[in-house]
Amino acid sequence: MRIVVAEDLYLLRDGMVRLIEAYGHQVVATATTGPETLDALLTWRPDVSVVDVRMPPTQSDEGLRAALAARGQVPGMPILILSQHVEQLYARELLADGAGGIGYFLKESVFDADQFIDALERVAAGGTAMDPAVIAKLLSSGSSNRRLGRLTEREHSVLGLMAEGMSNQAIGRRLFLSESAVSKYTTSMFGKLGITDDDDSNRRVLAVLAYLNEP
Amino acid sequence: MRKLASWAASAWVGFGRACVVTAVSMLVPAVWAAAVALWIWWGANPWSWIAPFVWACIGTFALSRPVCRMVRSLVAKWTGTVIPAGYRQAEPVTQLSTGYWWNGFSYERTRRDALMDQRMRIRWKDPAVWRDLRFAVIAPITMGVTAAIPPAGVAAAVLALTQPAFSVRLVGLLGLVVAVAGAPYAWRVVEPVAVRFLRASAEMALADRVDELTAQRADTTVAQAAEIRRIERDLHDGAQARLVALGLSLATVEKLMESDPDQAKALLRDARAGAATSLTELRDLVRGINPPVLTERGLVDAVRALALDSPLEAAVSADVQLRLDPPIESAVYFGVAELMTNAVKHAHAARARISIAQDRDGTGIVVDVEDDGRGGAGVRDGGGLAGLRRRLAVFDGTVEITSPVGGPTQVRMVIPCASL
Repeated sequence: MRIVVAEDLYLLRDGMVRLIEAYGHQVVATATTGPETLDALLTWRPDVSVVDVRMPPTQSDEGLRAALAARGQVPGMPILILSQHVEQLYARELLADGAGGIGYFLKESVFDADQFIDALERVAAGGTAMDPAVIAKLLSSGSSNRRLGRLTEREHSVLGLMAEGMSNQAIGRRLFLSESAVSKYTTSMFGKLGITDDDDSNRRVLAVLAYLNEP
Repeated sequence: MRKLASWAASAWVGFGRACVVTAVSMLVPAVWAAAVALWIWWGANPWSWIAPFVWACIGTFALSRPVCRMVRSLVAKWTGTVIPAGYRQAEPVTQLSTGYWWNGFSYERTRRDALMDQRMRIRWKDPAVWRDLRFAVIAPITMGVTAAIPPAGVAAAVLALTQPAFSVRLVGLLGLVVAVAGAPYAWRVVEPVAVRFLRASAEMALADRVDELTAQRADTTVAQAAEIRRIERDLHDGAQARLVALGLSLATVEKLMESDPDQAKALLRDARAGAATSLTELRDLVRGINPPVLTERGLVDAVRALALDSPLEAAVSADVQLRLDPPIESAVYFGVAELMTNAVKHAHAARARISIAQDRDGTGIVVDVEDDGRGGAGVRDGGGLAGLRRRLAVFDGTVEITSPVGGPTQVRMVIPCASL
C-alpha cells in the first residue's frame, strides 16, 4: 500500500514509518503541519494515510480538519486518525459523512503492531476501525443508554466489538462463541434496534454507528 | 372608594414614617439644642459655653453611627434598597509566641489593651466615621426638614384649632391640609438622601476591593499549590513509577534474551502493557489539568464533548462559537464539569440542559446548567460548589444556585469578559 504519514513529533513519525515499512508497505510522503497534510493527501492520493489530530501551526485540531477537508474533496479517502485522547465528538464528525474508510485510534494502539497494520488495511479497504476506548465511550454515554437499554449484556458486547470493525468470526473468537451463535446475537440485536441485517461487515458498522450518531 | 381607602392607608403609614424619620434625623440637633439651652441657663460665666460645647461634640460623635445605622435599616425595610455600611472590620487579636498580643496595628502587653487600642485606631482611621459625622449634619437639613412637614402641620393644626380667632384657625386648617396631602410623600426623601450621602465613598469602595482581592489572591495561591502537589503526586506514584518498572523489565529482558527467550517474551508483553497503562494514567492526568479538546476546539465544543461522555442525557445549546481567554474557558469548563458530576452523583438526575450565551449587553458570558434531579444543592465550605465559586471569583464571575429540595437544580454562572 502507498501510505502518507502526518505527525509532527519526529520520534513518533520515524517509528511509525519504520513500522509500516517493516510490514512491506510504502510510505510515499510525510507531513508535519496541517496545510502540508492536506497538500500531501490531495497530491499523493494514498491508499491510506495516518494523521495526527494536533499539529502545527496552531497546535489545535489541524490534522483532523485537514483530514475532513481532504475527505470533503475526495469522498471516502481512507484516513486513520491517531490522537493522544479520543473524543466521541470527533468520532461523530468523522463518521458523519457515512462514506467509510475511517479509523480513529489512540496513539498507543501502535504498540500492538499486528492489530495496527490490520486496522490500516481494513480502513484502506473502505472499512471502519475504531479504538475500543471510543466505542466504550459511545456505548456508555447518556444518549445511547436509552436506546441500548433493551439489549442483553451479551448483545451489548457483540455490538461493541462489531462497532470496532470486527467480523462475526473475530467476535466469536474474542467471546469464545461459535460464528453461528454470534450471528444469532446480531440478528436479535438488529431486530431490537430496528436495523436491517446485512452481511457486509463494513455496512454493519456504519449502520450501528449511524444509529448511535442520531441526535 | 377603594382608591380613597388605599390613599388614606398610605397617608397614615406615611405619616408614621415621617415622624420616625424626623425623630431619627433630629437626634443630633436635639443634643445641640440642649447644649445651647444649658449654656443660656448657666449664662453668667463667660467660660460657661465650654462644658456644653464639649458635651455636644461628644454626643454628636457617639450618636452619628447609631443614627446612620437606623437610617440604613429604615431604608432597607421600607424601600428594599440596601446601602452597604462599609465599616472597617476588626481583625482578630492574636497572641504571639513572645506572649504579646498583635491587633493588626501594634503589639500590646495584654489582650484587653490590644482590643482597646484596636477599637480606637479603627474608630479614628476608618473613613466611614467621617462620612457618618457628615451625614449627621446633612440629615437634619435635608430629610429632617422635609419629613418634619406632616408632623409639624398636624402640630400646628392642633395648636391653632384650639384658638378662638378665625384667622388663626384658618392657618391651622391649612396646616392640616398640608400635613395630610404631604403625608404619603414626605418620608420618601429619606431614600435618595441616604443613598447619596451614606454609600461607601470611592476610597472606601477601593479599600473593600483591595481586601476582596487580597483574600482571592490568597485563595488562588492555596488552590494552585494544592493542584500542583496533586499533579506531582500523581506523576510520582503513577507514570514515574511505571517507567522505572519498565526500565527494570527491559534490563531483565536483556539478560534473559539468550538464556530464556520465552520468559523474555512474556516480560516484554508485560512491559508493553505497563507502557499502555501509564499512557492511560497520563491521559487522565492531562484531562484533569487541561482537557485537550478545550485547547483544540474551544469552550463550546469541549462542553459538547463533555455532554456526550456524560451518563446524563445532556443537551447543549450555544448561540455563538465563542473563543474566550484560555483561563476563563478552563474555569467555565471545569465549572460545567463539576455541575454535571453533581447532577449524576448527588441529584441522581437523568437529563441536563446546558446553555452558553453572551449576556444582553455583550460584555460577559452566561452559562446555565439545569438538571431534573432531586435538588437540595447548597454551597458548603470546602465543597465542590464553593470551589466553583472561588474559581469564578478570580474573574469577578458569580454563581447563582436555585435548588429547592425535590429539584430541579438550576445554576447560572456569569463571567464578565472584555474579549467578547
